[in-house]
Amino acid sequence: MPSLSSLRSIHRQAWRHAWRRPLQSLFLIIGVAIGVAMIVAIDMANGSAERAFQLGTETVTGKATHQITGGPGGLDEQVYARLRTEAAYRLSAPVVESYVVADALDGQPMRLLGVDPFAEAPFRSYLDPGDQTQGPAASYLSELMVQPDTVLLSTEVAARYGLAVGDRLRVRYGADHFELTIAGLLAPSDDLSRRALDGLLAADIATAQEVLGKVGRIDRIDLIIPPGAEGEAALARIAAVLPPGARIDPTAARTGAVNEMTAAFQLNLTALSLLALVVGMFLIYNTVTFSVVQRRPVLGSLRALGMTRGEIFGMILLEAMLLGALGTLLGLALGVLLGRGAVQLVTQTVNDLFFVVAVREIEIPVFTLLKGAVIGLAAAAIGAAFPAWEATSVPPAGAFKRSNVEERTRRALPWLSLAGVGFLALGAGLMLPEWNLIITFAGLFAVVIGVALLTPALTLWSMTGVAWLVRTRGVLVRMAPRTVIRSLSRIAVAVAALMVAVSVIIGVGVMIGSFRQTVVLWLDDVLQADIFISPPSLVSNTVETTLAPALLAQLASFPGIDGAATTRGVDVVASVGADDQIVPIRLVALSQDLSGPDRRYRSAVGDWQQTWQAVRAGSILVNEPMANRLGLRVGDVLRIQTDRGEQAFPIAGITVDFDVRSVVFIDDAVYRRWYDDDRISAIALFVAPGVDVDAKVQELRTALAGEQELLVRSNRGTRENALVVFDRTFTITVALQLLATIVAFIGILSTLMSLQFERSCEIGVLRATGMTRRQLWGLSLLETGLIGAVAGLLAMPTGYLLAVILIYIINLRSFGWTLEMLLDPTEFARAFLVALLAALLAGVYPAWKIGNTPPAIAVRSE
Amino acid sequence: MTVMTIERPTSQQTRIDNGARSPLIRLEGLTKVYTEGAVSRTVLDALDREFYAGEFVCLLGKSGSGKSTLLNLISGIDAPSRGDVVIYDGLNAVRLTTLDEQARTLFRRRHIGIIFQFFNLIPTLTVLENVTLPLELNGLARNARSRAQMLLDRVGLGNRLATFPDKLSGGEQQRVAIARALAHDPLLILADEPTGNLDEDTGDTVLALLLELTRNAGKTLFMATHAPEVARRADRVLHLDHGKLVSDQAWRQTHEIGD
Repeated sequence: MPSLSSLRSIHRQAWRHAWRRPLQSLFLIIGVAIGVAMIVAIDMANGSAERAFQLGTETVTGKATHQITGGPGGLDEQVYARLRTEAAYRLSAPVVESYVVADALDGQPMRLLGVDPFAEAPFRSYLDPGDQTQGPAASYLSELMVQPDTVLLSTEVAARYGLAVGDRLRVRYGADHFELTIAGLLAPSDDLSRRALDGLLAADIATAQEVLGKVGRIDRIDLIIPPGAEGEAALARIAAVLPPGARIDPTAARTGAVNEMTAAFQLNLTALSLLALVVGMFLIYNTVTFSVVQRRPVLGSLRALGMTRGEIFGMILLEAMLLGALGTLLGLALGVLLGRGAVQLVTQTVNDLFFVVAVREIEIPVFTLLKGAVIGLAAAAIGAAFPAWEATSVPPAGAFKRSNVEERTRRALPWLSLAGVGFLALGAGLMLPEWNLIITFAGLFAVVIGVALLTPALTLWSMTGVAWLVRTRGVLVRMAPRTVIRSLSRIAVAVAALMVAVSVIIGVGVMIGSFRQTVVLWLDDVLQADIFISPPSLVSNTVETTLAPALLAQLASFPGIDGAATTRGVDVVASVGADDQIVPIRLVALSQDLSGPDRRYRSAVGDWQQTWQAVRAGSILVNEPMANRLGLRVGDVLRIQTDRGEQAFPIAGITVDFDVRSVVFIDDAVYRRWYDDDRISAIALFVAPGVDVDAKVQELRTALAGEQELLVRSNRGTRENALVVFDRTFTITVALQLLATIVAFIGILSTLMSLQFERSCEIGVLRATGMTRRQLWGLSLLETGLIGAVAGLLAMPTGYLLAVILIYIINLRSFGWTLEMLLDPTEFARAFLVALLAALLAGVYPAWKIGNTPPAIAVRSE
Repeated sequence: MTVMTIERPTSQQTRIDNGARSPLIRLEGLTKVYTEGAVSRTVLDALDREFYAGEFVCLLGKSGSGKSTLLNLISGIDAPSRGDVVIYDGLNAVRLTTLDEQARTLFRRRHIGIIFQFFNLIPTLTVLENVTLPLELNGLARNARSRAQMLLDRVGLGNRLATFPDKLSGGEQQRVAIARALAHDPLLILADEPTGNLDEDTGDTVLALLLELTRNAGKTLFMATHAPEVARRADRVLHLDHGKLVSDQAWRQTHEIGD
């Protein structure tokens, strides 16, 4: 056990060494900082989106344990009346809700919650009059009933936007606008309620029904059911008065299913955020290794003076931990800053792909900061552990040579390579069976580590090959590959770090490119009409509001229009499997199969005509993500909630589709048979031959301007819009991989600086022998170019492997998409150039620095 | 006091006495000052001297006396604070301070060979390549191999051409360094304590080899050393102390003969 004074001595030496090599220390700090920052930023973004969703649903659900829901049109409000009278169940509250947009509130989506003031008290405490501090007195909820078109909002929101009681608020729902009056301001005492209210407009149920076009209907009835037999009896009593289309589910069942959808997306981001840290660990390893190798005489002297192996180990580890702690602190601060940007990107993607979520408050959870801190320090400790252990092998005489390290590396090379193959096998073993996604990602990381472990051997072989190829060239050209070989133990680590970063660029690039191309082809198949008309929507892939049925006839008879088709998309629930698992699905009713022969099926009952015939006859199509997620096959039966009760629909085909949600396609006529719903979500128009589509779009916009606020887009416009959303979705991915590349770049820079430092005497001799600065530059850039080239070359097959894993395993298991791999040679060439340029760029400063060191000083540095 | 004499006066020494010859190197008020913060330290103080072709000049002095600094200034790998080094290349007088860094490098590449105390062979080059290095840098690659082979044969390492430096003993490495310093047929060879890192026997062997090769080739040799016994073989001995020239004499003039 080291004494206190020896600990003080260890601490002093560790700290001073870090100060003496400020640039290397700084690189280590930055490496850790970026890694930690990415983890914190993504955790913050994921957490904020998740909490916003929870606040939006769970807190609005309040203390309800169960919900009664109906079909797409909700429930008749008479159901609630019967519940209160016939079933005499008092712990129930009707709800009508949806998102509206108010320009006065920055155009952010606000949840309009229509409630029955008399039934509210047990459910949502923040609507409790006891919490109210402004506006009407205790009867404020009844005030909502007395005054039509009134809403309540929180004092914080009102203060933020300069609103007061009595002010008018113009809100938009779909294509329609309404004027609402602020009847009161809510100031709940507890934090949760305060946050829940941040995105909420509370209204009387009648007002909400009117604004949301649901007069006479309610979306759900919240229930508080006591546990045990009493509850069972209550449920039975309630079920007895419910119409066939209604069902009772525990509240957790739905929110759980929605959470599952985003879980895969968030896990993908988390995995990518870990990448920079993995690359950063290479940097830590390299920096500490250099520090050990450069100080071998000092370490030998310390051993001779009586420092134990344990104390040497502790000293090296402490150094890394001190710098790692600084990096971690910096990373936490940087992560909080980056987190704000990441929250926007993640929220946008969640809105694009999943559901409406508006993050108004970015929290910095203590747990996230703790997690970042622990991971940062652990990375520093793990990265430094091996070199610290190496340092303990310095003999007291200090006769430990750098060449010893190299010789040991050479001896370890077969074992290292064997371990690499082992990791690759482990990765394959973890990924090939369909376990959960976290294990799949662990497999992916194992593959990356496997290739990184093979890098030293591959670098040695390739450099030996290069050395042989240039054996007859000039002395400078001959020296370059040999320098790489001679410093293999350190250079290989930098090469591995750069290789990993660049292979991820290739892997993710090929995945995104393939994905984009697959989506483009898919859009060609599904976007068969010339013009698409829909109401404005808050979510890119979902039309929440509807079009008036009369609009169809009006548009079909528009001059120059040859035909029309409709879609109706609604959110319902389905039961799957023997255990009646509840699955929220998007049910899309198609008036005709526009894609026809172009619709691509993963499997179907027959050819496209036979399949569509089956759909006309009452079967359904399910999208591929849903089929993959739930293990559905053609011929299976899906029980879907309809207004006539739960109905069984056989699956006629599994169709290619790039919605992350579970989508079921049904024939429009069949849909109308099972649901009391005459609304339509979107209309597709075919123009007559010879008619200019863009001109027709303009004509339609002009003609419809006075009626509803509709989106009229040409086929091209719709396609472009879809691709804009696609590209936006991957913005954060590209940002994350860029940061990982920056860490790799710093790793190379740090390595080259340390190598130049080590070689300064050798370089001094070369200069003394007559090598000019330009030749020195040439030599230096040749060496770094070789490092970049070998990293770039190794990254190509690795990147390809990652692309295969991302496309055929990760994407499929995360989202259920089957993508067609598209190998774009420019993607590989670009990545190779990134590796080469990163290495060359990293070589500039060390080359400049050593070039400017007077040879007399350089020679003395021995 | 032990008094020694030089038993073997050389032809070069004879020529030294001939004041009519023009010098190969002239030092003009050569001064080097190092500054650390507010403190300045003069390591070489206004040295004025001339040296002639073929001379073996020994720089004697304790550590820190300025020997290595003088060699660095003559080679141009360091720049003086004041004064100049003039080297006569045929009829041309080259003032090193008038040359920019690039020109100094090219001049050094062509005319100067250096031998270091720690051998300083390039670890990534073989024995042969280390010797051909100055030739290749000078664009003389064509005959480089044969000349290097010849020199390595002379230093007894003709059979180790493909060996890398880390496989050689210290003495062998220094023999390669000698061959490297002579490879491009320089005007001047500078050796900074070339035997300082070798045991006595090996040091003697290396020194004998160095002197034999340089004298046979008629080269001017500057050697910094602590060892008086090395100085015995020199034509001139410059004794430096704290940057100042204490004496500049032939060995026999430096020491009284006596029993």
